[in-house]
Amino acid sequence: MSGEIVERVVNYVVSSIVDDQEAVEVTMVDRGEDEVVAEVRTAPGEMGRVIGRGGRVARAIRSVAQAAAEEEGLTAGVEFVD
Amino acid sequence: MVAGEWVEVEGISVEVAVKAALEELGIEKDGAEVDILQEPQRGFLGIGRQDAIVRVKPQPRPKRARRGRGGRKRRPSGQKQPSGRRPGNQRPEAKQRQARKGQAGKKTESSRRPGGRPKTAGNKAAGREVQAVTGQDNTVDDLGKEQAAVVEEFLSGLLEEFGLEGKVESRHDGRTLCAEVLGEQTEALVGPKASVLQAVHELTKTVVQRKTARNCRLRLDIAGYGEKRRKALGIYAGQLADQVLDEGGEIMLEPMNSSDRKVVHDAIGAVDGVRSYSEGREPRRSVVVALK
Repeated sequence: MSGEIVERVVNYVVSSIVDDQEAVEVTMVDRGEDEVVAEVRTAPGEMGRVIGRGGRVARAIRSVAQAAAEEEGLTAGVEFVD
Repeated sequence: MVAGEWVEVEGISVEVAVKAALEELGIEKDGAEVDILQEPQRGFLGIGRQDAIVRVKPQPRPKRARRGRGGRKRRPSGQKQPSGRRPGNQRPEAKQRQARKGQAGKKTESSRRPGGRPKTAGNKAAGREVQAVTGQDNTVDDLGKEQAAVVEEFLSGLLEEFGLEGKVESRHDGRTLCAEVLGEQTEALVGPKASVLQAVHELTKTVVQRKTARNCRLRLDIAGYGEKRRKALGIYAGQLADQVLDEGGEIMLEPMNSSDRKVVHDAIGAVDGVRSYSEGREPRRSVVVALK
């Protein structure tokens, strides 16, 4: 399954940051052959934490997701859905 | 949450000081209570000028109030209040500052030089003046242990999710947490120009902050990258020193983060006849190597 590592990694990282881990949802969307996008949803009000000041945390999550994607020979994006 | 955490910051204006304080606490303005301890005064030709001093604390809304972003600003442990007392202990601090006021103008002046960071006045103040009241001092050790455990757990979990074989070691050393991720496969977590390493660093700090409600200073190395980088930079700096000694002039390196700059400064410092200094604003601050 493509993007499995990305999904697990993104889920793990986001869950480590929020309070309400049950509410974390990561949905993988295929964008073409080698590209996946992880859509992240959290409990209302917690997205700010996941994005961080000036988007620093979001940027870090994207970077780590990309590293995870490379393990599978993919390109990955992360979208934070509020 | 630790009730009553607050910071005092001095800056060229109330706005600058408040901004730095909010940043230090990692909260938004509407979640903060701001006390202006001293209004700034212009003075005349730099004489008699006073910086603004503000005290900012999060409003008691536990869920929303996020404290302390780690990293750039240092909070010297020596400046920590010895006990959980708040207002009683603050006054003397404020007074000390008043006493040092004479230097304030000069200090601010210098912090506005090109090459300083945009918020230097505030940041500098935050670095030196911030008083974070945490409770008892003897909890620092426990906190360090707790944070080291959080780091180890998070990084081990991350390796597992990545499906990488490796080992995580972490310890705390005074105010700094040191974590090392070992194993050949973990190179995947370094990435081009250590971009992934930096991301993991940022995330680890965020997790520590979230789980222990305190920020931390974290040194993170993955797959021996830091060690290699330091060696390579040291050699490179040595070559630049030779070049400057031969040809004169100055050489400006590409922008680097503060720890890399320190490696270069140290290497240059060890060579006779050359000196180094930094120029530019973060995050594009560069070392310049010049003749002494």
